[in-house]
Amino acid sequence: MRRNAGPLYVAPLALWLCCFFIVPLGIIALYSFMSKGVYGGVVHRFSFGGYTALFNPLFLTVTLTTFLIAASSSVITVLLALPAAYFIARSARKNLWLFLVIIPFWTNFLIRIYAWIAILGNNGFLNSLLLATGITSHHLQFLYNKYAVLLVTVYTYLPFAILPLYSTIEKFDFSLLEAARDLGATVSQSIFRVLIPSIRGGITTAILFTFIPAFGSYAIPQILGGSDSLMLGNIIARELTVTRNWPLASSIAMVLTVVTTFGVVLFIRLNRFQTVTTAPEAFTAGGVDGDEQ
Amino acid sequence: MRARAVFLAGMLLLSGMCGCQKTPSKRLYIYNWTYYIPDDVVSAFEREYHVAVVYDMYASNEEMFAKLKAGGGGYDIVFPSGDYVSIMIREGMLEPIDKSKLSNFGFLDTAVLQKIRFDPGCRYCVPYMMGAAGITVNKENVADYERSWSIFNRSDLRGRLTLLDDMREVLGAALRTLGYSVNTIDEGQLRQAKAIVMQWRKNIVKFDAEAFGKGFAAGEFWAVHCYAENVFLELDSTQASAADFFIPREGGCAYMDNMVILKGAKNKDVAYMFMNYILDPSVYARIVDYLKLPSINTATRAQRKVTPRYDLTDLANSELKEDLGEHLERYNEIWQEIRIGR
Amino acid sequence: MNSKRGFSSVVFTLVVLFFYLPLVILILFSFNHSKTMSWGGLSFRWYEELFFHSRTLWNSVFNSVIVALSSGLISTIVGTLGAVGISWYDFRGKRMLQVAGFLPLILPEIIIGVSLLIFFAGIKLKLSLFTVFLAHTTFNIPFVLLMVTARLEEFDFSIVEAAYDLGAREIDALLRIIIPLAFPGILSGFLIAVTLSLEDFVITFFVAGPGASTLPLHVYSMIRFGVSPVINALSVVIIAATAVLALSAGNVFKYIVRK
Repeated sequence: MRRNAGPLYVAPLALWLCCFFIVPLGIIALYSFMSKGVYGGVVHRFSFGGYTALFNPLFLTVTLTTFLIAASSSVITVLLALPAAYFIARSARKNLWLFLVIIPFWTNFLIRIYAWIAILGNNGFLNSLLLATGITSHHLQFLYNKYAVLLVTVYTYLPFAILPLYSTIEKFDFSLLEAARDLGATVSQSIFRVLIPSIRGGITTAILFTFIPAFGSYAIPQILGGSDSLMLGNIIARELTVTRNWPLASSIAMVLTVVTTFGVVLFIRLNRFQTVTTAPEAFTAGGVDGDEQ
Repeated sequence: MRARAVFLAGMLLLSGMCGCQKTPSKRLYIYNWTYYIPDDVVSAFEREYHVAVVYDMYASNEEMFAKLKAGGGGYDIVFPSGDYVSIMIREGMLEPIDKSKLSNFGFLDTAVLQKIRFDPGCRYCVPYMMGAAGITVNKENVADYERSWSIFNRSDLRGRLTLLDDMREVLGAALRTLGYSVNTIDEGQLRQAKAIVMQWRKNIVKFDAEAFGKGFAAGEFWAVHCYAENVFLELDSTQASAADFFIPREGGCAYMDNMVILKGAKNKDVAYMFMNYILDPSVYARIVDYLKLPSINTATRAQRKVTPRYDLTDLANSELKEDLGEHLERYNEIWQEIRIGR
Repeated sequence: MNSKRGFSSVVFTLVVLFFYLPLVILILFSFNHSKTMSWGGLSFRWYEELFFHSRTLWNSVFNSVIVALSSGLISTIVGTLGAVGISWYDFRGKRMLQVAGFLPLILPEIIIGVSLLIFFAGIKLKLSLFTVFLAHTTFNIPFVLLMVTARLEEFDFSIVEAAYDLGAREIDALLRIIIPLAFPGILSGFLIAVTLSLEDFVITFFVAGPGASTLPLHVYSMIRFGVSPVINALSVVIIAATAVLALSAGNVFKYIVRK
């Protein structure tokens, strides 16, 4: 048997995370149990104040809004990304398409948001088009509500869903689909029972890459949202800067971290369990669970 | 071959742009609001005094303070508003100002200096600019209007109005409408102010501190609660002539931004040179002409060439914001209720 | 198969249109004489200002490029190696590392920014472009890690096992088998890392030292005062430059391969 090279591979990762992530996370954990300084920072005195302040019905409302926006944008994003990634993976000019997908996102984020304002505004391109073609007789209000936030969230995170899906679909052996068809499966059966199960790692990653950033979203609701779309990210930023309640901001972050960690671990477990039980062994060539020793 | 030529050209362009800037021995690190000093004023100072200025920008007092508070820094001069000056004094973040090194300090309007309660006698700060938020109205779309906060009560303008996303400014406007102080900590007065803002909230599109200028320029918004310079920088000349900025007659929050030296600043001598340079009447004239703000420098008033959008007399009913200490919490709770709508 | 291919190409086309629609607007505005969103005639004034009067802006562009490339590279290396270790080996603390590996994704940006700043101040590390690089690499690592893990997960370890049986050294297996196999994942991870780094404002705001402004910092500081159309012109230049670089890099690559 060979020497186990695992620790060697993960050493840089572990070291980096320890230095630059675990330590800061520890700082936040400590801060969440301290008293608030009147002018920001913390007073070194133990307190549950950060956590009791969480029992505020306002936070519940905002968390719910945030979850709904993040979840629906994540679902829409992945549904759009799947066929797009499939197309890239099956194309002969993969790298060209990949760059085509990512390049718009190398411009400044704020500028792209302003471009959306120019498109969706009351005097914007879309409204002008609708008026000119006579589809509507008056301006439609597209901006400054949760739908605008949803649209631009999907826009912003779509490439982050396409890329992981592409990199797993690219590897998929498409002759399996034909094999399934030969064995009498319909098109949709072959896709849902053969393709989807074997790229589930990519789907999971795509969901994580869209849901989590959308959940912490700050600038999009700030600029494009209306009075119905205040999100958790905005509240945390406010507590840290405007009201200077660092323990509260820390405790929100801690609760967010713990809840999401459980959620994600559970999600991955369930996801794995389900695919293992539904994926026909013959079609997945036995290689799917290579990581589960 | 062609590809390589393109590549080489690209690299040359890159190296050409990074390279070759001679750096003078003296340096000055400034942390300031965006566009608050015209670029040519800074470069003129650099040439005249052989100083290299490193100039970073922020968009709000809160962001600047959070960064300095968490340990960020390395700056010599910062430009906080009055309420943040008193906070920074209390937190021991500022160096006292030695006025003997500022020969131009005497040009500052004593009437203005007397209004300062955040640092009486200016022991830690050098006032830079005074102004207030007001309302800009698009005269093409809004024919007649009163120069008052009551414009936000007009349901015929529903969906065309924005208020600043700033609790002190908005509650301050409501408090002044009721005739109360913008620095009140009286629960009853605050509740009345909240009721007024909830009325306004029905007619506005959103609380916005980022996109109102662009929105106004695009004809999206017809009356916005704003700082004048933010909106007018977005307008071309025809649009600007159709826009009217006013400070509502009830008054509201006024601000005074100040130059301060951070504790432990490494380039104090240069910092004094810079502050004195800014206070020079002709230099200050270029700044207020660019911003079209009122001058707090008495000698500048005769020299300036551009009439400001409003005068200090328009601020008669306005009040300078003061730090509220722990009472800010109450404002915050009320503001959250307003934002979520209950 | 054909119907599926037809469907996917339709969706892909729509997605690309969706992506480029704001870009078209942006290009249009960069040639707009008026600084507002209404058309004021064709003009190159924003390009003129960009190339002749925007020293600090270019400075921030270069800072951004340096940080994006360096943090993209380092996070891709660290993340890829970590993904190989996590996917194909068993060791103590593996589960913990897996969880720690995606946590930076969850913490709100502003919290990461402030806590890193407190940490840097605590260890007396002077803020500079280097601290920005450290922070960006930290939030980029989870993306690369998950991306490459997702790709590797689908492979059969027996390919590598076979190579070892044939006498391959660890380093050969890594460079000749594992990396080529995982390459689409690695490339995607790198692209995501560069993109995130080019976009980040909140974290950078806190950890940047004096004079180390990146492009987003520069642009966000304009937010209250109206973002100048010069930034539109800059975006067009950046896109054109990346397109040219990407194409010429592709050609150079082909040229080397042919040789």
